[in-house]
Amino acid sequence: MITKNKINDFIEKIPPAPKALQATIILLNKGELTKAGQIAQTDLALCSYLKNIVNKPIYGFRNEVTDIVQIFGILGLSTAQQTVYNYMMTLLSPDKWELFKLQASTFQDLQARLSIKWKMILAHLNIKDNTIESAITLLPASIIVSEALFCEKKDDVDLLRTVHDIDLNTVLSRLCGLDLFDICQKIAEKWNMPDSIATIIHAASGLKPIEEQELNTLGKWMHLLLFYELSQTLYVEAGLNDFIEFQLDYVSDIYDDFIRVMEIL
Amino acid sequence: MRAVVKNGIGVFSPQGFLDGNNGGAFLTIEDIEATTKTNADMVLVSLKKVIFFNRNGLDIFVKMFAKVREKQSIIVGFCDYDLKKFNAIKNFYHKETNFSLFASLEIASLFSTNFDTTNLNVLLYNDDKSQRSAMAIELHDGGHNPIVAQTEEEFNTKKKVKTSYDVIIHDTFLGEMGHNIATRVTGNAIIYTVSSFLDADIGNTFNITYHNNSLNVGFRLFIFDAYKVVSMNVHALNFFAKLSSSGAEYNASICFVGLTFDKIPTAFKENMEDSGIMFFDNMENILGDKDLLAELGASSAAAGKNKRVINKMTITELPKFIDATAATIEMMTNAKAIKNAVNVSQINIEDHTDKIASSIGYYGDMDGMVILVFPKDIAKKACQLLIGEETDDEELILDTLAELVNIVGGKVKTLLADNNIKVTITLPRTYNDVSSLLEVAKDRKGVQVDLTFDDDKFIFFLTR
Repeated sequence: MITKNKINDFIEKIPPAPKALQATIILLNKGELTKAGQIAQTDLALCSYLKNIVNKPIYGFRNEVTDIVQIFGILGLSTAQQTVYNYMMTLLSPDKWELFKLQASTFQDLQARLSIKWKMILAHLNIKDNTIESAITLLPASIIVSEALFCEKKDDVDLLRTVHDIDLNTVLSRLCGLDLFDICQKIAEKWNMPDSIATIIHAASGLKPIEEQELNTLGKWMHLLLFYELSQTLYVEAGLNDFIEFQLDYVSDIYDDFIRVMEIL
Repeated sequence: MRAVVKNGIGVFSPQGFLDGNNGGAFLTIEDIEATTKTNADMVLVSLKKVIFFNRNGLDIFVKMFAKVREKQSIIVGFCDYDLKKFNAIKNFYHKETNFSLFASLEIASLFSTNFDTTNLNVLLYNDDKSQRSAMAIELHDGGHNPIVAQTEEEFNTKKKVKTSYDVIIHDTFLGEMGHNIATRVTGNAIIYTVSSFLDADIGNTFNITYHNNSLNVGFRLFIFDAYKVVSMNVHALNFFAKLSSSGAEYNASICFVGLTFDKIPTAFKENMEDSGIMFFDNMENILGDKDLLAELGASSAAAGKNKRVINKMTITELPKFIDATAATIEMMTNAKAIKNAVNVSQINIEDHTDKIASSIGYYGDMDGMVILVFPKDIAKKACQLLIGEETDDEELILDTLAELVNIVGGKVKTLLADNNIKVTITLPRTYNDVSSLLEVAKDRKGVQVDLTFDDDKFIFFLTR
């Protein structure tokens, strides 16, 4: 169904980040917010994405913001960095979603929701680290990878899943020895994302707890956050709720805290 | 959301958070109806991977359960939860619970009429005496040995000796049960279990579609286990007489076992005999007598009297059946399946040792049966995607082989539908050795294709 060759093809076809984008990230990493905004202005697709995303209701700005330098200023360094990474992920998104009932806008909404709630979690955990804040941006790559690898096999996947309770990550892992999160790691490497981002994402799979306590805890929060979002009606209807398996036991010790932070009760 | 259907139980498995906003996105009435069309007599929502739920979320499912129950006599409810979730559900619904709660899928399967394992020792306890009795009765009816603890203390003491029990029932509640007639397959015979007073309701509780499918795929002997029947009225009599007459064109035999006529008019017996129904005192009289079984049609030799040949339509569509099988193997193993030899003959298995098989029937615009025969080790390899780990558990391998042939059946259905040929597939069957397969397939003519993947051989056989 899915072969290692297909995975290698997918990884090979991941485009390098455009030069303006690379320069923007380097400047953001150095803390040069204004200069980063000026460079970002030269990438029209990035400008359009930033304007679109920042003016979504979830960001809560009263007036429309259109100037990129101003947008970076409003977002602040860490969120600007996170938003640019989110944009990089959209470069991998398909023009038309087939496996999942998604559109570009609903996928971007998911990215935005994850980013904002991740920020709430990090505030609760009292963690101020730009890289860790950006780690959440790699998580939706698992959805993009699933779409890319399985979209032509939708009927097979549907048939398989009516006779056996199996998620896409397990299918991939059993057939190819690589799972979705391993492929996310390859994406992170290709785009020169810091190693710790890929480490947290691995932990967030819920299948490979890591020894480093802090990063493992972050993985738990991220895993639970993902399933909190994938339980929203829009994403259940999109077919995302069960694309990977929820590891309930893995997150049970942070559940009460999570409920409080998300103000669920 | 799609259910995974296995052994007649359809299970929906939402993940994460469940509340009044998203409950309807996880499950719809249409989803449940699609599941019951696959012969599922139990529809459950698993709470195993649900970390949060509230009453509003469950209410959406509970209302759907009630609607489904209005139309169909199936068991509905929740399964796979821990004590905390069980107590939460009981608190939400108190005594209004008309759906069922099964702590695990294993416990649920004991109450499914499609569960073909019997004679299990089952320890149970419930603080509600009527629940204890209801469970004991249902388990006994299902052919198990219930051991009912009368107090929690007794239950806790007994359950410490785990080896004494096959299953221990805890944190379980039986809501409204299904009233469908229990059905099981033994060799080449279908056994229906009927009980108490039989009246016009038999028309609702007897799965006539399943019965007709069984005729279509070649079953000829149908036994009604009627030990527990107290009496019947004229409506039930007419039903059985009609069933027997309609089976006559297939040369099918209908037998009643254990039916006493203390409270049934003797004229009823004469009427039933006139329509071809036979009566036996006990099951062993039939199942233990090979000559009688052959005479009644429960062996391939007898079925040979009514042999149906491979017709032109089957030959025309044969490539689709082979494609479906090859595509399934490729999907499961990533290895290319290669067709080697094709023969129109009776099934020919040279070496009978260490081979297992599975089959699936189809009926509709065309009918027949696909049989796959694998060496045990190759079956494991073919099912590696579903099994996931090294195992020698034969039951697990057979179960998984049933899933594989089910996928083949699903693919056949889709491929034929592309040519406007509509078929429905039956539940898969498995055979733990060649002799049990030959009881069904011996003397049947069909198309045998020897296939290989990764140089491992297996047999595809298509027959009618």
